[in-house]
Amino acid sequence: MSFPKYESSRLATQPATLDPAEYNVSPEARKAQAERLAIRSRLKREYLLHYNDPSRQGLIEDPALIRWTYARSANIYPNFRPTPKTSLLGALFGFGPLFFWFYVFKTDRDKKEKLIQEGKLDRTLSISY
Amino acid sequence: MLKIILPTMMLMPLTWASKPNMIWINTTAYSLLISLISLTYLNQLSDNSQNFSMLFFTDSLSAPLLALTTWLLPLMLMASQFHLSKETLARKKLYITMLILLQLFLIMAFSAMELILFYILFEATLMPTLVIITRWGNQTERLNAGLYFLFYTLVGSLPLLIALLHTQNNLGSLNFLMMQYWTQPLPNSWSSAFLWLACMMAFMVKMPLYGLHLWLPKAHVEAPIAGSMVLAAVLLKLGGYGMMRITTLLGPLTSFMAYPFMMLSLWGMIMTSSICLRQTDLKSLIAYSSVSHMALVIVAVLIQTPWSYMGATALMVAHGLTSSMLFCLANSNYERIHSRTMILARGLQTLLPLMAAWWLLASLTNLALPPTINLIGELFVVVATFSWSNITIALMGTNIIITALYSLYMLITTQRGKYTDHVKSIKPSFTRENALMALHLLPLLLLSLNPKMILGPIY
Repeated sequence: MSFPKYESSRLATQPATLDPAEYNVSPEARKAQAERLAIRSRLKREYLLHYNDPSRQGLIEDPALIRWTYARSANIYPNFRPTPKTSLLGALFGFGPLFFWFYVFKTDRDKKEKLIQEGKLDRTLSISY
Repeated sequence: MLKIILPTMMLMPLTWASKPNMIWINTTAYSLLISLISLTYLNQLSDNSQNFSMLFFTDSLSAPLLALTTWLLPLMLMASQFHLSKETLARKKLYITMLILLQLFLIMAFSAMELILFYILFEATLMPTLVIITRWGNQTERLNAGLYFLFYTLVGSLPLLIALLHTQNNLGSLNFLMMQYWTQPLPNSWSSAFLWLACMMAFMVKMPLYGLHLWLPKAHVEAPIAGSMVLAAVLLKLGGYGMMRITTLLGPLTSFMAYPFMMLSLWGMIMTSSICLRQTDLKSLIAYSSVSHMALVIVAVLIQTPWSYMGATALMVAHGLTSSMLFCLANSNYERIHSRTMILARGLQTLLPLMAAWWLLASLTNLALPPTINLIGELFVVVATFSWSNITIALMGTNIIITALYSLYMLITTQRGKYTDHVKSIKPSFTRENALMALHLLPLLLLSLNPKMILGPIY
């Protein structure tokens, strides 16, 4: 009986044993695979020890997550250095919009003020201002 | 007014003299009674003020804020019970004393009839808050946070002192009753521009204005729950209240001096709302949302139209209750998980459904759902700024959309989805916590039925 040829999809990736390249890897690659497997299994063992510990109350601390939140919240300014690029970006996106909106609103309001002074703006029904 | 100030002052001997198992019950019960007394002030019979003495008065503007302040003290005490349970008795009593002292200064500040009395109390509120943040906060960053909080406000308010003394020299008195009749329009010169800046900068820092808001996320995040509650709900409103009071002195200058601050607020509103979408820390998200809402209040106070003042007052009261409730909810998360990272505590709806209901209501009021007073405030401000300039509707509309986005993002991240594996063993919600949320929400919903008492003196 012949089975259809295996095709991998997003949720069903090709198993390593069906990949012909798997059988020709060098000893260094094998060693690297073994090291990665050792790290992975050590981490998994630590996680399972924490997870099943009956005296654990609350979170399992993940140092990677702690580092990530620290980097995203409290460690931004110490790694900031004013360079020409950052100064330009800051001036452009920090002060630029303020001056832009000032210009927009000033011209709009001055135009409205001029119309009001000339008596041309129809404000007969405007009671909520 | 003494019938509120003296009982609040006597709450301090009450804490120190109570038996150890009665301190929380005594202080919470008596502060709740004091808040019921202050609710009588909400019955303002005319647009004039109700003057109790030469020092204290209540107005339709200060009465709602006074009621908010006194209502918040029992809530703060209820919220602090858990994280102080492991402290020694003397430290618990000291914490409660700090809260009561802060409450005393705030009550006197909101009912002060003289601007210099208001200024002294404005500065005095910094001290208990600093002690609460730096002594009882949870992370090492609390020292930095306290420093930023203290020095930003002090540097902003020192020019205010000079400006007030100068104005008192000129006018003779800074009593609110007399200020309305004695102020002259400011001449169009550089010195009056500096006077305008000196008067307003203190309140701009306190609100906070977008460019000077750096202290707020730090202080709100590092403070313990009662500190966050009082900061978000009341201390920010001190800035708004001060701005509304002091613009009577500042004559025709506001129409052009306000432009830089209007631009900072209008653009900052959108910027801080967008920053909310990128936050990993839950309390930080709520802190930035406070900046965004207060930017609306700054815009409303600076354009000085009747509707905008109504909107500003309503928004201040509404945001006080909403923001305080959100901080309480975030704290209920923190007490169980001991981390403020949002993604660590997901899917809480399956585990704590009643708390999920409070989360839902708090998020809905935060995004200004009709018919809550949040919407009334925001709507009045949007309509008033539209009459100031038609183009603001683009910015305001964008802000409303982004507010809805981050409120729902916060709700969905913490409540929906599959729960994380390590939250399975959290403690269920305490009655105290449910009562806390209900007591926050009840005034908010009841005020939707009769919002005219928070619409301020213009109504």
